[in-house]
Amino acid sequence: MSHLKIEHLSKTFGAIRAVDAVSFEVRPGEIYGLLGPNGAGKTTTISMISGLLKPDAGEVFVGGKPFWSNPQQAKRIMGVVPQELAIYEELSGRENLEFWGRMAGLSSSEARSRAVELLESLTLTDRAKDAVKTYSGGMKRRINLGCALLHRPKLLLLDEPTVGIDPQARLNILEFIRNLRASGTAILYTTHYLEEAETLCQRIGIIDHGRLLAEGTLSELQERLGGDRVFVLEADFKDASPDNWNGFHQRFRIIQKSERQLVVAAVGTRDSSECLKDLLNLPVRVENVTLKRPSLNDVFLQLTGRELRE
Amino acid sequence: MKRILDIGHTDLRLFLKHKSAYVWLFAMPLAFVYFMGFANHGPGKPYNRTPPVLVENADTNFLGRIFLDELSSQNMWLLDPTNRETAARVIRIPADFTSRVLRQQQSKVQFLRHDASEEADAALIEVRLVRALIAMNGHLLEAATATNLPGTLTEEKLRAVMARPNLVSLNAKFAGRKPVPSGFNFSLPGNLVMYLMMNLLIFGGATVAAERRNGVIKRLMVHPVTRLELVMGKIYGLMLLGVVQIVFFLAVGKFLFHVNLGANLPAVTLTLLVFAWVAGSLGVLVGSLVAAHDRVTKRPTRIRLKPWWDRWLPRMIA
Repeated sequence: MSHLKIEHLSKTFGAIRAVDAVSFEVRPGEIYGLLGPNGAGKTTTISMISGLLKPDAGEVFVGGKPFWSNPQQAKRIMGVVPQELAIYEELSGRENLEFWGRMAGLSSSEARSRAVELLESLTLTDRAKDAVKTYSGGMKRRINLGCALLHRPKLLLLDEPTVGIDPQARLNILEFIRNLRASGTAILYTTHYLEEAETLCQRIGIIDHGRLLAEGTLSELQERLGGDRVFVLEADFKDASPDNWNGFHQRFRIIQKSERQLVVAAVGTRDSSECLKDLLNLPVRVENVTLKRPSLNDVFLQLTGRELRE
Repeated sequence: MKRILDIGHTDLRLFLKHKSAYVWLFAMPLAFVYFMGFANHGPGKPYNRTPPVLVENADTNFLGRIFLDELSSQNMWLLDPTNRETAARVIRIPADFTSRVLRQQQSKVQFLRHDASEEADAALIEVRLVRALIAMNGHLLEAATATNLPGTLTEEKLRAVMARPNLVSLNAKFAGRKPVPSGFNFSLPGNLVMYLMMNLLIFGGATVAAERRNGVIKRLMVHPVTRLELVMGKIYGLMLLGVVQIVFFLAVGKFLFHVNLGANLPAVTLTLLVFAWVAGSLGVLVGSLVAAHDRVTKRPTRIRLKPWWDRWLPRMIA
């Protein structure tokens, strides 16, 4: 049974449809990545799952039960890490953890002992008594994450938990999240960093303009573009018209075309060398060809017509 | 209930982590109580005020001087003529006062009102003036009829009569109303309610607005905390802050400024707690309405300081 299941979730703000019939589920011991640019609807989706917003349509099931049938019960098995640093900067790391633990329903003694454990896991024991405002960005992010884990939630919602921190601190947090997954926690992880989604998540949902455009494992998403064969051609494509190239669309799918670059994925199971030969025979003077595995950015590009980083 | 207490206790701890909290909870109120109490310190005791009187004595003879002494013995505060602007009333003794009285003719002593004076002060002066006149008439009558003081009435004879113990005395005090507070009795309760309201509004409003902005309120709401628990917790935290302020004011008032805290301290405390509850609730309301915490803190501080600069500082300098 999945810890989180959402069905046809929709939310509209005035004329803007922020989330449009989004459905997915997160299973125990799985990290489900919700990948999309800023404004795609990731945070709105998390807000509806956590009860901050009521959906206009659709249903959220937490632990197999509809969220709104008993929100307090659902919140007890859920931990939420917001995008912003929603912690008390004047309090120490330990005080923050203990407070949020008590808010999650732990007794004072339970919160105290769990805070000690978490400070150890988050490698913050040395700074436990210092005010959070004296912490580095990465340490604050770790405390922000820890504050959602006091009550050992079965379902963890992480809303871009690594925004604005250095690569080393990001790696530490990602490693911590992998360990959580290993303990059986179901994790919904929203991000706009491709590398995080590729390296961390078992399944990925690509969301843009409130719609879930595709979902699956990384390899399933790559398959949509022709497995591991994406060719990047560099040439003068200003006056080139692929529609007039004989049989080109039967053999290749265009992912992106600009004046200087053409990105294509091979269709079918032909050998890469044959594909390369076909491309070199195109009626343009190709200056450079690169063969690469399709990235999530290529998938996003193919689905939306623009790059995730734009 | 446990979450309400937790939220409240944490909020109090957060308030007290700010240095500005100590300034606004303790230092500024103390300074304001002192300066306002000093500036408003009325003459005499609160239960027996002695408003200042200017006496213009044109009589150079002895009865004018004796009349001044009679006024002084009635606790009348007689001003030096250089401070005439602060007088509540003016008493003008004519130049022929002694000669007319000795000729057993009526003399007209003028009792003039000062435009800026208060009616209550004028009434107190009038009572004392009447008492001084009655006493002087009594002494004159006694001196004139005394068998052991023959001859013309002189200053020595009259003062000898005045020096005798009164056979009958009347110990009177004001009845029917509570004492008019002045000095610290006036400034401390006023500042207490003012700072209580201001601090709970500003701290409450700024805290809730800041927590809304940095996501703490949202984070609380994704925990199994009900809206009621959240609001009550916030108000409870502000109530605790109010209790700190109330205890500080009452202790300072009692032991430092020796303020009369009233006959029923528990009732006073209960009233203040209800006031703190209302102020705290308004603070939470303000915080939930404004967009940013700095909008809460700037305006009231400006409003709060304006009377200080406009009124109290020039008075203190003067």
